[in-house]
Amino acid sequence: MDNPQVSFTFHDAAPLGVDRTAGWDYFSAPGEVYERDGLWYLTSHRAVRFAHQHPEIFSSAKAFDSLGSPVPLIPIAVDQPAHIRYRRVLDPMFAPRVVNKIDDELRRQAREIIAAFAANGECDIVKDLAELYPTQVILTMFGLPLDDRDQFMEWTRLVIGASGGGAGAAATEEQMMGAVSLFGYLQDYITKKRTAPGDDVLSKVLALTGDEAWTDEEVLGMCFLFVIAGLDTVAASIGFVMLHLARNPELRRQVAANPELAAPVIEEVLRLELPAPITPRVTLSEVEVLGTMIPAGATAMLVLATANREGRSDDIDLPTADLGHLTFGGGIHRCLGSHLARRELRLVVDEFLRAIPEFTIAEGYEPRVEWPAGTLHLASLPICFPPRGYE
Amino acid sequence: MKIVHDPDVCTGHGRCYLLVPELFADDEFGHGFLSGSGVLAEEQMKAAQKAVDSCPERAISIVAD
Repeated sequence: MDNPQVSFTFHDAAPLGVDRTAGWDYFSAPGEVYERDGLWYLTSHRAVRFAHQHPEIFSSAKAFDSLGSPVPLIPIAVDQPAHIRYRRVLDPMFAPRVVNKIDDELRRQAREIIAAFAANGECDIVKDLAELYPTQVILTMFGLPLDDRDQFMEWTRLVIGASGGGAGAAATEEQMMGAVSLFGYLQDYITKKRTAPGDDVLSKVLALTGDEAWTDEEVLGMCFLFVIAGLDTVAASIGFVMLHLARNPELRRQVAANPELAAPVIEEVLRLELPAPITPRVTLSEVEVLGTMIPAGATAMLVLATANREGRSDDIDLPTADLGHLTFGGGIHRCLGSHLARRELRLVVDEFLRAIPEFTIAEGYEPRVEWPAGTLHLASLPICFPPRGYE
Repeated sequence: MKIVHDPDVCTGHGRCYLLVPELFADDEFGHGFLSGSGVLAEEQMKAAQKAVDSCPERAISIVAD
């Protein structure tokens, strides 16, 4: 992915736009482990797990070099042993018990965003909800003012454009400007929070002292990664969950009547509709995976989406929802924000169905994703519903 | 029968303590751990199997005493 000259014909031709099942069948058809256009695809559950369990061979650091980030993307672009030092600090800040503490505030914010369009009878799930909410949640976690949301979104949209584009996309000048503005903004808060800390992730990282202390560059790198990893992905998942609820009125009514059902429904949508369906690694040595030799220095594409569907249904199957999935990855780089992401999705479903239990996709609109893309997401999801006040 | 959890394989997906709180609890890192001895009564077998099946890292298993 580090050479813009190379074309990834096989990758880019996957028929994922309208029907993800067709797209993931396309990736699993050639086999468990195979090479196309110089990229090595690992598509079976066993193959993906093998890579997850051998981070000393399948480097995440090398895979993220190609993004050309001006700061180290902490912790995903770091291999062991440094990686564990960062995770020991960050894992407790994103543990479920910490998310529990801000549950009420995050619920209030979801309710407020939904209330803004509940009386209109129509909305675009992507623009009016999915893009706004994860941004507010990140601002909340970092102790930044919610009033900065729209400005923050403008910068992050540019930044994500630079990092999340298709294979081989290079950063444009405009995108670099977004990054510079965002860094300037964050640097101001880093300076402020060093002297006047609050009860937030940024303050807690900045409060580390001695050997544990992080440099400003490390803190910026972490912030930058959270922007790349925590906004588009959750936004995409909100879109996919709402898409499935819009298309399955029976399922939607069951969830509305029994909110506990939201959890398995969300797990199944996460299993089937991955915002980051393929994660790259670079091999540090030659390695045999299930009988196939992969050379050193090769880009391995861990196709989480096909692993999730292996031997399982291509549709939502609630009785098997507890069997889990690899949507949040696995091994040492398991998604740090997974607990927060799950909570965001749960709060959105709860609050949406409470305000708007009945809705349909706007007539004539065919929901689709763009491919290739850094993050698989619906471009838009216009829906209609009986307008109502919020009680 | 006994349920065992391998902390070296666990990476903190958090499924076990969420889905099977009668056997697992969470630590400050969001990683799961067995809240009891792990020795399973007959009526706990189904819950134990659920914990095994739900772990994306395959860090949980049921073994003979």
